[in-house]
Amino acid sequence: MLKKIIIALLAVGLLGGAIGYYLWNKPHMDVQAAKTDVSIAAEQLFKAYVADENAANAQYLEKTIAVKGVIREVDKAADGSVKIIFETGDADGFGVSCEMDPLTKHKRTDFQKGETITLKGICAGFNLDVQLSRCVEVNQN
Amino acid sequence: MYKFIFASILSILFSISLPAQQYFTRDALVKFDATAPSSPEEIKAVNKSGTAVLDITTGDMAWKVLIKNFLFEKSLMQEHFNENYMESGKFPNATFSGKIVNLSDVNFKKDGEYKVRAKGVLEMHGVKKDVEFPGTIKVSGNTLQVKTNFSVACADYGIKIPGTVSDKVGKEVKISIDAPLAPKK
Repeated sequence: MLKKIIIALLAVGLLGGAIGYYLWNKPHMDVQAAKTDVSIAAEQLFKAYVADENAANAQYLEKTIAVKGVIREVDKAADGSVKIIFETGDADGFGVSCEMDPLTKHKRTDFQKGETITLKGICAGFNLDVQLSRCVEVNQN
Repeated sequence: MYKFIFASILSILFSISLPAQQYFTRDALVKFDATAPSSPEEIKAVNKSGTAVLDITTGDMAWKVLIKNFLFEKSLMQEHFNENYMESGKFPNATFSGKIVNLSDVNFKKDGEYKVRAKGVLEMHGVKKDVEFPGTIKVSGNTLQVKTNFSVACADYGIKIPGTVSDKVGKEVKISIDAPLAPKK
């Protein structure tokens, strides 16, 4: 009887440990494979945030969003990370700022100003620009 | 509020029509390290999209980062950071607004690295605190590289660290900022 209890306890312990280990090392979401929650034009997304940040957050925050737009600016940092700013027609030059995902091997990172592309990423909120993190390029047919 | 401060600095500038006195970035690199001395795990994260605006005629400046844009190596840490510690659903940003107190020590027309002190209000997790910390401004041509390192105590901002993780998550969090500012176009 005691032996059975010990075995049962060990099994529970092992299972718990395995679950804990799995959770601890749970990988980040695979953005490329993730389902797109919302598809929207850059200008439309930006305008939604300018009009009402709280309402826009309720709709878009932490969602996986595919944003289509014309590239206004490509920023390459010293560490190789790439950020793309979409044109929105804003007079102060703000728009939708998309950080390319550091965990994805991208097909290309040599984007050109004026190009129309679609990027999919996670909406992090509004900081002068609407910010999307962990973006990947989406091929549109 | 941030947009308001930004807009008011902008409008003051336009009203006296001094172009290129206002420097801006959307690429401020903000890192923090909350690893406790005894922790076997590193607890740190990076945000590459901090924004800042600095008026070099008055020394006024405003900084902002989105909490949800801090990326951690471990997904679970990022989740806990947002949900349990920073409550980023309720408090989506951290901001600093204040000014450089020794602005006259910086010659924006001459390349070089200048030591500065900033004084103002740091707000995070919904709590505002008066702070003062040192930094440097490196002038090279038309760009400024602004750097600072400082520590904040979690308790000062109402961020509770549960006893079960107090050996991993430090009471003091080291923050470093490295930002390239250029004249606002």
